[in-house]
Amino acid sequence: MSVAASAADWPQWGGNNTRNMVSSEKNLPVEFSPGTKLGPKAAPKIAGRLRPDAQEANASTAEDIDMSTTKNCAWVAKLGSQTYGSPIVADGRVYVGTNNESPRNPKHIGDRGIVMCFEEKTGKFLWQLVSPKMGTGKVNDWEYLGICASPTIVGNRAYVPTNRCQIVCLDVEGMANGNQGFQDEAKFMASPGPDGKPVEVEPGPTDADIIWVYDMYKELGIFQHNATSGYPLVVGDKVFVPTCNGVDWTHTNIPAPNAPSFIMLNYETGELLGEMDHVVSERVLHCSWSSPTFAEVNKKPQIVFAAGDGWVYGMAPETKKDAEGLDIIKEYWRYDANPPEYRKDEKGEARKYAEYDGPSELIATPVVYEGLVYVPIGQDPEHGEGVGMFSCIDPTKEGDLSGKAVWTFKGIERSISTPAIKDGIVYAPDYTGRLFALDAKTGKELWKFDTKGHIWGSPLVVDGKIYLGNEEGELFILAEGKELKELGSIEFPSPVMGTPVAANGVLYLTTHTHLYAFKQGATGGAQ
Amino acid sequence: MKILNSLLVLAALSTSATAGDWLSWRGPYQNGVSTEHYKNGRLSDTPAWTYDSRGRGTPVICEGKVFSWGYRGEKDKLVEMLTCMDAKSGKVLWEHQFRDFLSDTVYDRYTIGAPAVDPATKRVYLGTHYGLFMCFDFEGKKLWEIDMMEDLGRMSFPNSRVGTAVIEGDLAILHCISSNWGADGPAADRFYAFDKMTGELVWWSLPGVSPPVDSSFSLPVFETRDGKRVFYAGTGCGNVVCVNARNGKPLWRWQACKNGVNATVLLRNGKLISVHGDENVDTSEKGRMAAITLPEKLMPPAPGAENNVLDPKVEVWRNPIGSSNGSPVLVGDRIYVLDDTGVMNAVNADTGVIEWTLKMATANVHASAIFVDGLLYVPQLDGRLAVVKPGDKSGEIVQEVKLSGQCIGAPAVANGQLYIHTTDKFYVFAITNEGITEDAVPAPVIPAAGKPAALQIIPAEVVLTPGEKKTFRVRAIDAAGFVTGDVSNVKWESFIPPTAKVKSTLDAKFNDAGELVAEATAKRSAGAFKATAEGGIFGTIRGRVLQNLPIVENFNDIELNEDQPTEKIKFAYPPLPWIGARFKFDVRELEGEKVFAKSFDRILFQRGVTFIAPSNLSNYTMQADVLTDGSARVKSDIGLINQRYMIVLRGNANQLEVNSNLERLKQTVPFKMIANKWYTLKTRVDANADGSGVVKGKVWDRTTPEPEAWTIEAKVDMVHKNGSPGIFGFTPLNQKRVYLDNLSVIPNK
Repeated sequence: MSVAASAADWPQWGGNNTRNMVSSEKNLPVEFSPGTKLGPKAAPKIAGRLRPDAQEANASTAEDIDMSTTKNCAWVAKLGSQTYGSPIVADGRVYVGTNNESPRNPKHIGDRGIVMCFEEKTGKFLWQLVSPKMGTGKVNDWEYLGICASPTIVGNRAYVPTNRCQIVCLDVEGMANGNQGFQDEAKFMASPGPDGKPVEVEPGPTDADIIWVYDMYKELGIFQHNATSGYPLVVGDKVFVPTCNGVDWTHTNIPAPNAPSFIMLNYETGELLGEMDHVVSERVLHCSWSSPTFAEVNKKPQIVFAAGDGWVYGMAPETKKDAEGLDIIKEYWRYDANPPEYRKDEKGEARKYAEYDGPSELIATPVVYEGLVYVPIGQDPEHGEGVGMFSCIDPTKEGDLSGKAVWTFKGIERSISTPAIKDGIVYAPDYTGRLFALDAKTGKELWKFDTKGHIWGSPLVVDGKIYLGNEEGELFILAEGKELKELGSIEFPSPVMGTPVAANGVLYLTTHTHLYAFKQGATGGAQ
Repeated sequence: MKILNSLLVLAALSTSATAGDWLSWRGPYQNGVSTEHYKNGRLSDTPAWTYDSRGRGTPVICEGKVFSWGYRGEKDKLVEMLTCMDAKSGKVLWEHQFRDFLSDTVYDRYTIGAPAVDPATKRVYLGTHYGLFMCFDFEGKKLWEIDMMEDLGRMSFPNSRVGTAVIEGDLAILHCISSNWGADGPAADRFYAFDKMTGELVWWSLPGVSPPVDSSFSLPVFETRDGKRVFYAGTGCGNVVCVNARNGKPLWRWQACKNGVNATVLLRNGKLISVHGDENVDTSEKGRMAAITLPEKLMPPAPGAENNVLDPKVEVWRNPIGSSNGSPVLVGDRIYVLDDTGVMNAVNADTGVIEWTLKMATANVHASAIFVDGLLYVPQLDGRLAVVKPGDKSGEIVQEVKLSGQCIGAPAVANGQLYIHTTDKFYVFAITNEGITEDAVPAPVIPAAGKPAALQIIPAEVVLTPGEKKTFRVRAIDAAGFVTGDVSNVKWESFIPPTAKVKSTLDAKFNDAGELVAEATAKRSAGAFKATAEGGIFGTIRGRVLQNLPIVENFNDIELNEDQPTEKIKFAYPPLPWIGARFKFDVRELEGEKVFAKSFDRILFQRGVTFIAPSNLSNYTMQADVLTDGSARVKSDIGLINQRYMIVLRGNANQLEVNSNLERLKQTVPFKMIANKWYTLKTRVDANADGSGVVKGKVWDRTTPEPEAWTIEAKVDMVHKNGSPGIFGFTPLNQKRVYLDNLSVIPNK
């Protein structure tokens, strides 16, 4: 299945395991408006606004949307202050990773990682995962970043990395059907009190029901850099995730060079089934934040991981024991997504990482399309703009494929956006702010469009159109195809870091602060 | 009390600008505006001269001399420079070079700030990210140097923002995040005021809150208010603070956001305007520019309170502009600020209304614009220097000069020349003209001193070693902090502040000559003294007695008198006078032996450094037994610091490493460190006559004899010649503890 079925859910990043940002939804709105906020005069005096649910909040406080000013908008839900997760829609629920700067529960006030779950039809808040900060400061768990991914939904389970270098499995129904599996939610949610000691909070009806927790730093000695990210990939009974192992404050020292950057867990128990050889960790440039992808190659399952060392790896979902008795995931191929000239200068000296013309890791997710793997290199946006490269890789080959790509394209700069590929055209943005249309077979540039703002999210191709947001809060709508045609743009009052999502006739969009559900003909507030 | 000089001590108006000068980061009005006007002025498209110096800050110009803070070279050859050049010709008059040490600076983020000039005494001041604070005369002679990292606990962060010192009266003031000892152990954004002539500490101040989320390089902006000289600055803890500039007393704080406030504030008509780019306190929007009404009356905080907290009602207006690092410019009733998304905003200073915007780039990182003779000079990340003509309803780019490298700092203008650093080069452009006129900058009103109300004792903090003595200057200040005169015949007594959490005294005594004497037998200790003069006015100093070499410490004499409730063990806090040690390390038992251990109390301190002796020590050998807890999969790191070099065993990497800022120096040799096994680590640093040197490290199994050969010998071309002995422990995410025992620091023969 290459694209999500019509009138379907979007249960994971990219809709399905190929991660291609293409939807087969129809009749999505082109003309819509996010409306305006109620305004500063209604501003509460102090932090710690409580939002029992979107409906009530929308009617009462300053930051919520005056629904009468929206257009084709079914509902709007308030998120935190920084939202990097994109909406995930499955079985009547919408999930988003965010932070706790618009607290939903008075028992949890202060900086936390949050996944909110809403009712799909109304936007009603159902439950949330609350993950305390580690307390390490920026180096492992940067303040206010929240939970940077959203969950992957498989059946009645949700898999998501928290901000604490953990992978958790949740019950999609929350506590509504009782507390299943893991019973230590109170301890899990404990944040330090005024005396520095953790204060346990007994879970209530709007807290997540955790099934299991896998602590990557406790079990594997991982030292995640700045944040934990990456949407889990579930294939059969296995969960694949990056560990986000990386550098420390010095950006040179790698505290855990012998720990894995990528692991495989049992989907029912969270038990460690296998790990990648630590080659990525030894040479990691910053850390590994990319989401893994699935491909069926030569009729065999293959896991594709774009890593923090700037290489892409093709692996089998199976392991073999190494000399120390560790279960190492079997590798088919690896590919340096940086050309040699980004690694070394004319004199053969290593180029400095983070400099404009230096090498990059991969943060975008590789996309599988018609048997080939497509992915650009990029860096933490904090490092700014720089040279990039987009690669098309043939995963049927084995060994070191560096320099043997089907094609590469260097007209693009650093990118952390996952491409959308449809009808032989690759739509690939760069962080600098341009959207490129490339011929999927040859890499030839068909057109490019400058949004003039940094792009963090990915394009969504749906119903003949491309939707793409940028850091300046603009959502651009272009026509799909070989010719550049801008259909319009819509301004949002906050940056659009996530990726638009289409599911069941609704276009979802997150800004840093709000989740919007746009639907042709909908009138807000009618929920 | 005897007032030696009852006349007003003349307050030098140090910031009054001379024609053609740009003496500090944001210029003569502290707001990015130049005093100069030109007849038919136009920025030349080609530079008058350039200099081979990379930079991310702003130069200062005084009396035809340019003082530039830059850097040059790559990798282990990179140096920072303070360069004095002839403004007209670009001829280098003198240059000093410095080498980073022990900092977390990454990606060559050097020189983020500016030097400062005191025209009254013809001195130039420079603070660096690795904590050196230095004073030079105009001929390039170094007059004094303070090591703020090793002696005051200045901390380092990967963003490496420094800012600048500012001169006020006889003080040179700067701020940073520090984690010192005792009550000043917790990390906080502190302001330090040094005697600008001698470098002695006069006061320090914590007007914000601890711990800060961020660091800040916000420039203190001065004015006279309610009979006091005060400054306003953003802090790493998200506040804008007001501090009495003469005595360091916090007067108020106003919480602008949750992270750091880096932009320099603007003052206009009794209002303060500040901008930040981060989390707000009362909404979930990011970034804000806001104006507040300044309190007319400045009262000291109530007893027991650390500072007055302004009510949010002081806010007059706000708008959603976000600028994380770039500072705004104030021209009449107009504010100009380049926001984080590269948009130039023109804002009405009375209402906060954004009157027009001009999209100039996709981002701005640190750069600030300046305003000269009707034009904005706007440095761009991609290397363009744009000249913008601001109008009533719009702004127009009238000229662009493409420079090599990125423009991250702010330009300076003096005497018809524009100076700008890029990450590639230092440029000087003529603003060609047919005549220059200059606005006069009003000299600040310095109130006359009133009657003595307190003693100000200089230095305010000292370090003694056994057998050493220190003298102090005692002067009286009035209630507003103005100096009324020198004082003699004070009564000294040991003093424990009522708020002190650790009741400790300094093992030293004042003699009849008013000198503080540490006897040859003085013990390692820390504490305070109070001086009281006639009439009961008083002041305090604090200090530490640190050991002389040789230092031998097996921790056996330390009594384990604290209970660790979660681990159910006895422990002792580390020696009080060791910088930054508390909550990072403790003394406890391991296998029946008292040892020095990395503490797990606070995960924020998963990596800790403590300096155990003064920074002026050199030419010593350090040795200690070390051990990491762990498994084959997970271990931790433990090391020693010798003369600004770290010699560290990396548990997981299985390496012995010599470093000092890892981008500048990192040399390793393989060494398999087995968990839960004691090793002995030994180091010395040998300096050669030509300025080069060798950092030596040796490690061996403690149960075996010391091997002859050094395990690692790292050659460096520009060796640090002095530095505090220190201990380093890094327990990633506090999973596996590290231990140290039998520490010695012995002078080399």
